[in-house]
Amino acid sequence: MSNENSHPTDQELLLAADGELSAHRAKAVRTHLLECWQCRARMSDLEAVIVDFVRVHHETLGGKLPPISLSRAQLSARLTEVYAKSKANPTLAFFQFMDARYSMAFLCFGLLAASLFFALLIGPSLRSLWSVPAQVAVAAPVEDGVEPNPKLTPGAARHVSMHDVCALPHEEVEVDVPDALRERILGEYGIVEKREGNYEIDFLIAPLLGGTEDPQNLWPEPYDSPVWNARVKDDLEERLHNLVCSGKVDLRTAQNDISTDWIGAYKKYFNTDRPINLSTSADIPSLDSHSSRQNRSPKMWLSGIEDPEKSGAQL
Amino acid sequence: MGSIDHISFPALAATASLSDRSEIECEVMRFFEEFRTPLLRYALSFRISVHDAEEVIQEVFLALFLHLQSDKSRKNLRGWLFRVAHNQALRKRTTLHQRIQTTSFDWIDAHRQPDPSPNPEERLFADQRTQRLVAVLKALPEPDQYCLRLRAEGLRYREIASVLGMSLGAVSISLTRSLGRLLRADRS
Repeated sequence: MSNENSHPTDQELLLAADGELSAHRAKAVRTHLLECWQCRARMSDLEAVIVDFVRVHHETLGGKLPPISLSRAQLSARLTEVYAKSKANPTLAFFQFMDARYSMAFLCFGLLAASLFFALLIGPSLRSLWSVPAQVAVAAPVEDGVEPNPKLTPGAARHVSMHDVCALPHEEVEVDVPDALRERILGEYGIVEKREGNYEIDFLIAPLLGGTEDPQNLWPEPYDSPVWNARVKDDLEERLHNLVCSGKVDLRTAQNDISTDWIGAYKKYFNTDRPINLSTSADIPSLDSHSSRQNRSPKMWLSGIEDPEKSGAQL
Repeated sequence: MGSIDHISFPALAATASLSDRSEIECEVMRFFEEFRTPLLRYALSFRISVHDAEEVIQEVFLALFLHLQSDKSRKNLRGWLFRVAHNQALRKRTTLHQRIQTTSFDWIDAHRQPDPSPNPEERLFADQRTQRLVAVLKALPEPDQYCLRLRAEGLRYREIASVLGMSLGAVSISLTRSLGRLLRADRS
C-alpha cells in the first residue's frame, strides 16, 4: 500500500487477515477497509476461499483417520521401553533404540570423523608442502540493511539484574513499538513511505537482554531478507539469553557483542558462518567441546545420524 | 495460539494413568493428544499411506522425547514438531519411492466425508467445486502446498518459515499466490 488512500494489495489483505502486519500497517489497512467496499469485497473473497480450502484440507486428509487410541497405546509402550532402557543404561538404550537402517550412517560418520581427525592433524603440513591454496568455507552473504547503522543505532540497555533478565522466557518479552516512534526511526533511516511495509522495527539489544525502547536501540530490519533475517536474530537472542542465564556468558558481554555486530555474534555463539537452518552442520555446538558433546542428544553424537529436526531435504 | 506451554489439554485425563511415569514422558503424551491429528493430516499430504503416516508420527514423538530429555530448547515446540514431521515424511516418501502420481492415498476418493447437503443439486455442485479446488491444489508447487497446509493447521508465518526453511516474505508471497489461484478456480 503506497499511502493511506491507495488500495492494499492481496498480499497485504492476507497479512492483515492473518494478523501478520505490524500494528501500524494493520491499522492503515483496517481504516482503508472501512471506507472501501471494493477492498472489503476482495477481503471477503479471500476469507471465502480460505474457508473452502480448510474444508477441502480436512475432508480429503482427515476424513477417515484411524482412531487415536491404538496410536496412543503404541507410543506409550515405546516411550516406556525407551525410558526404562535409558534409566538402566543410557548408551545401551540408545543403541537398542536405533533402527538397523541407521547402521550405514553410523559407519559413514565414523569414517568421516576419522578423516577429519587425520586432516586436522597433518593437513597444515601437507598444505605447506604442496602449496595448494586452502579451501575456505563460503560464508553466507550479508544483505543490505540487515545490520543497523552504528551511528544511528549503537544500542541501548538499562541496568538490570540477572534475576530480571532470567525471570521471563523469551516468548513473554514482546514489546510493540508505538507508531510515532516507528515513524521516527524510519525517517532517520530515510526509508520512503511506500517501502516501509517491508520493514520491522527491531531492537538491536533485545528486551530480554535488557535492551530499551530507545531510538538508539531500534532500527528498521528488512522483513524478508533471505539469510540474515529477524528469525535468525531471534535465535541469537534466545541463545544469548540461555547462555547468560546459565552463567556461561556475562550479560554485559552479550549486550556488547549483539550491539557491535549481531551477525558476527551469531557466528561466534553458534560457531557457524551462516544461519543454522541454511547450514549443513549437524547441530548447534556449545561453547566448549565438553559440553558440546553433552548437550547433543545421544542419538546425535553416538551415531552420527542426522538430527530428526534437520534430516531430509527441506523442500 | 501462544506459547505451546500454556495450552490446556482436555485429553489430559486420558493420560492420567501415566502419573507414575517420568515427567517428560507425560509431557510427550500431552503433546501427542494435542497435535497427533494435525500432524497426521500434514504427514498424509505427502501422499504416503495412513500406515506410514502413523509411523512418521510415532517417530516424531519419540524424537520429541529425546529432545526434551536432552534439555534442548522449548521455544516454539509446535513449529519443531511440524518441522520434524515434515522431514520424516519426506524421508519416508523417498525411502518408499512413492511418487506423487502413484500415490497410495488419493485425496479425492479415499477419504471423502459424505456431504451433508440434502439437495442432490447442491451436493453435485459442492462435489464439482471440491474437485476443482483439489485439482488446483494438486497442481500447485509442493512448497506452496506445504505453506497452505501448515497455515490451515494454525501455524503462524514465522513457524511456517522455520518448518520449511523459507523467509517470512516467501511464506507470505506463497500463500497469497496459492489463494489467488484457488480463488480464480472457484470463480471459473
